[in-house]
Amino acid sequence: MCLAIPAKVCEILKNNRIIVDITGVRREADISLLEETLEIEDYVLVHTGFVISKLDKKQAKEDLKLWDELLQA
Amino acid sequence: MSDPTERYRSKHVTEILLKKINKEIGQIGNPVRLMHVCGTHEHDLVKAGLRSLIPKEVELIAGPGCPVCVCSAQDIDEVLWVADTHGAIITTFGDMMRVPGSTESLYQAKGRGVDIRVVYSVSDAIKIAEKNPKTDIIFFSVGFETTSSITAAEVIRTSIPNFSIYSSHKLIPPAMELLMQRDDIEFHGFLAPGHVSTIIGSKPYDFVPEKYNFPVAVAGFEPVDILLGIYSLLKQIRENKPKVDNVYKRYVKEEGNLAAIRALDDAFVISDARWRGLGVWPKTGHEISKKYAHIDAKKKYTIPDLPLTDLHKGCLCDEILIGKTKPSECKLFMKSCRPDHPIGACMVSHEGTCNVAATYEEIDL
Ligand code: SF4
Ligand code: SF4
Repeated sequence: MCLAIPAKVCEILKNNRIIVDITGVRREADISLLEETLEIEDYVLVHTGFVISKLDKKQAKEDLKLWDELLQA
Repeated sequence: MSDPTERYRSKHVTEILLKKINKEIGQIGNPVRLMHVCGTHEHDLVKAGLRSLIPKEVELIAGPGCPVCVCSAQDIDEVLWVADTHGAIITTFGDMMRVPGSTESLYQAKGRGVDIRVVYSVSDAIKIAEKNPKTDIIFFSVGFETTSSITAAEVIRTSIPNFSIYSSHKLIPPAMELLMQRDDIEFHGFLAPGHVSTIIGSKPYDFVPEKYNFPVAVAGFEPVDILLGIYSLLKQIRENKPKVDNVYKRYVKEEGNLAAIRALDDAFVISDARWRGLGVWPKTGHEISKKYAHIDAKKKYTIPDLPLTDLHKGCLCDEILIGKTKPSECKLFMKSCRPDHPIGACMVSHEGTCNVAATYEEIDL
């Protein structure tokens, strides 16, 4: 029940709702607890039907660089 | 961009991190105990078999991180009292059904006819209330900041006369502080919970290194995430430079999710809370704030003091919850207490320490 699952944004609906793809299954989710705006193809974490966080794509790229450094050190 | 999650399962990165972890612990020269406070960490690290991959000198202990396991029997008794005396329908998460109350679990109560319905989220409970306007509906709400923020959103925007929420919500950072203050459990660093941190951010842990000289790593849930967290903690220990290291930056900001924090601050006030078998811990709970008293089940119903049995005879859940005792040290483990017949809360949920030990032990054998 406290799981938060990574999902991909597929459709932006009205009234703070979106459709996400969770490993192939489409589900509706509520985005009223998210401050950032979402676009299709964004990745988010969904917890009991609400989006709680949006993936920071820049940071995800940064992670790869950090690993490279770490792996070489 | 393809699904970024896959990358955090990379075997190659995992192997290199394991080497780094080996090197760090070799340099430290003493065994190290690291505590996580998240049921999902427990589940995912067991699933990935990480305990057998990391050096045996690094012990990962499970703290009180599963909201189902830490839920006191008192809360179950109280919602059942409301159902029995007011004919209310109880709605809650499936995980809660088999958690023992003082005399019965919700599942057992359902067997004698109490109307209890499992929901996926608080929003589903509200739909049930709308469909049954003549019946009282209670949503039995458990969870840490992640789940509390969702409940908060609904507390703020919902006003249905026959619907109320019983809050059993708890807070992670003050619980961490109480764990550090105990001298009966020895550990050297915290793997802070990734999902709770998406909400509260990494800042609320600053007091841990500042006041207690204790390292923290905020970590996600894929094998690479967890190993990065462990590696960071060992490095901090070796260098004796404790800090809050956020290795889950792709989802966790320093300041957290501001909209969710605003909702939490508006809907709830901080209160004392009872943890399973551990008594009342000051300022570790979330009660619905006065402003939303109309939706607070604890205000709507005058619940009397009920006789409480938080731990059944022989059950060591209180010690399991704080990482003091291992499931195999409990005499009931896999004897009278099994996943299909749980005696304590830690055997109930998929991420309860005793349940995880039981499930994976069976696979191992
Ligand atoms: S068992 Fe359920 S309540 Fe416990 S940590 Fe896991 S998801 Fe959360
Ligand atoms: S094995 Fe069962 S009785 Fe023993 S501590 Fe765990 S839940 Fe309690």
